[in-house]
Amino acid sequence: MSSSSIRCRALGVTYASERAGPLRALRNIDFQANRGEFVSVIGPSGCGKTTLLHVLAGLLPPNEGTFEMAGGNGKNPAASLVFQENSLFPWMTVIRNAAFGLEMQGVGKVEREIRASEMLARFGLAGRERDYPRQLSTGMKQRVAVIRAFLSGTGILLMDEPFAALDRQTRMLAQQELIGLWESERKTVVFVTHDVDEALVLSDRVVVLSASPGTVVADYRVPAERPRGLFCEPDDELYELKRRILASLGLTAGLTAYTCAS
Amino acid sequence: MKVLSAAFRSSWLVVLLLLCWETLSRLRVLDPLFFPAPTTLLAAFGALVGSGEAGRQVMHTLQRTAVGFGAGALFGIAASAVLAVSVTLRKASEPIISALYSTPRLTLLPMVMLLLGVNNTSRILLVALGAALLMMIQISDAIRGVNRDYVDMAVNYGAGPLAVIRQVYLPACLPQLFTGLRLAFSRALVLTISVELLNCDDGLGSMIWNAWQTFAIEKLYLSVALSGALGLTFQWLFLRLERTMTPWQERAA
Repeated sequence: MSSSSIRCRALGVTYASERAGPLRALRNIDFQANRGEFVSVIGPSGCGKTTLLHVLAGLLPPNEGTFEMAGGNGKNPAASLVFQENSLFPWMTVIRNAAFGLEMQGVGKVEREIRASEMLARFGLAGRERDYPRQLSTGMKQRVAVIRAFLSGTGILLMDEPFAALDRQTRMLAQQELIGLWESERKTVVFVTHDVDEALVLSDRVVVLSASPGTVVADYRVPAERPRGLFCEPDDELYELKRRILASLGLTAGLTAYTCAS
Repeated sequence: MKVLSAAFRSSWLVVLLLLCWETLSRLRVLDPLFFPAPTTLLAAFGALVGSGEAGRQVMHTLQRTAVGFGAGALFGIAASAVLAVSVTLRKASEPIISALYSTPRLTLLPMVMLLLGVNNTSRILLVALGAALLMMIQISDAIRGVNRDYVDMAVNYGAGPLAVIRQVYLPACLPQLFTGLRLAFSRALVLTISVELLNCDDGLGSMIWNAWQTFAIEKLYLSVALSGALGLTFQWLFLRLERTMTPWQERAA
């Protein structure tokens, strides 16, 4: 059995735009994620990170190249998406949101509610099952979205800056929970972020995309052991890696001041 | 105590105005022939309602409004669903819809009567037209406004086209659907009464016109009050319905 979970070859996406002519969002993307691997994708804004996730989620057919995803079939998708905003359906209760993937797969109501409420309780959302998303904080909403993705039973999670809108403290908590969940279930995760520290704290690998049209310019393995701390600890190796990632993003000036402050 | 103070906050001005009216009419500052005191009117209303005539006219009006509103709203909803699917049809019907929407509906009554005759069908058709146009504008707007993210999310989690409609489009459009229904009903009522005023021998509109012609001043006031009460009641009912049907919505206190 192949150990790769996602494999893209020479992937390219061009948007047809009536006014501005064709817009090339991604070009020649070669990208691979192994089964159970946590891969962060980082890049300047507008580099096509979200487009890449939409392709992998099966929402957007690529114009060039091919991609394969392990698992999934006609009925059940291979990957579950978690958005940054609008991550929950406002008209569904928390428990229906959490169990939405199961519902779409035809799991019976009783079973899916049992499984969803177990997960909700595990993440401190017991008693909030019948609330609507508007009654939750942003942090809680993202937690429910992550729970839904994990519950949906797909082997791959695609996360589009899921914690970008959270304050620093809530974000650290969410990261910790995500890693805990990932360590117990070992799904393949593609995690789009613009935060280098977040990528370093969470991932096994960090893939850097160039500015538009995005393509892979660097691919780093994160050497740190797990479990990791939530801070960028004064570790020479990680510090060097962070410097190199930032350099791949074209960020070199003022680095010392920035790194230690963040 | 709280309930009482809330009731007071929303009604003191009404009570004050009624008191002024009563006093001015009793002191004959306002001519009681044209502006009978509220208490006098109330007594007269009792007699008129008791005779059953008022009830009959209300039923005529309500029937026209309900049939016109029901048929119009159903057509409007169905039509906007079709227009959401077919771009060709949407582009072609846009000028017709906006032309009809911008023409005061009542002005179309003679045309409708030329087409269908001077009868109830014509009157109800005009009412239905008013309701349908409003629903079409509301629902088309709601469908266009559905956030793409929710559709993507549902599709990503394995929803087929039917599930996307049921789980995303329908609930996402529900709040505007109910707003549309509420507005369409009030428009249907206004149109019904206007048509009855112009050309009809029953219903609240014709009751108002007859009362005016025969100078039956109490009857005039009663029919106007009933028209208002009808409008208010249904506004309230539709608001209640909207609240129960869309519990996820944030509401201003």
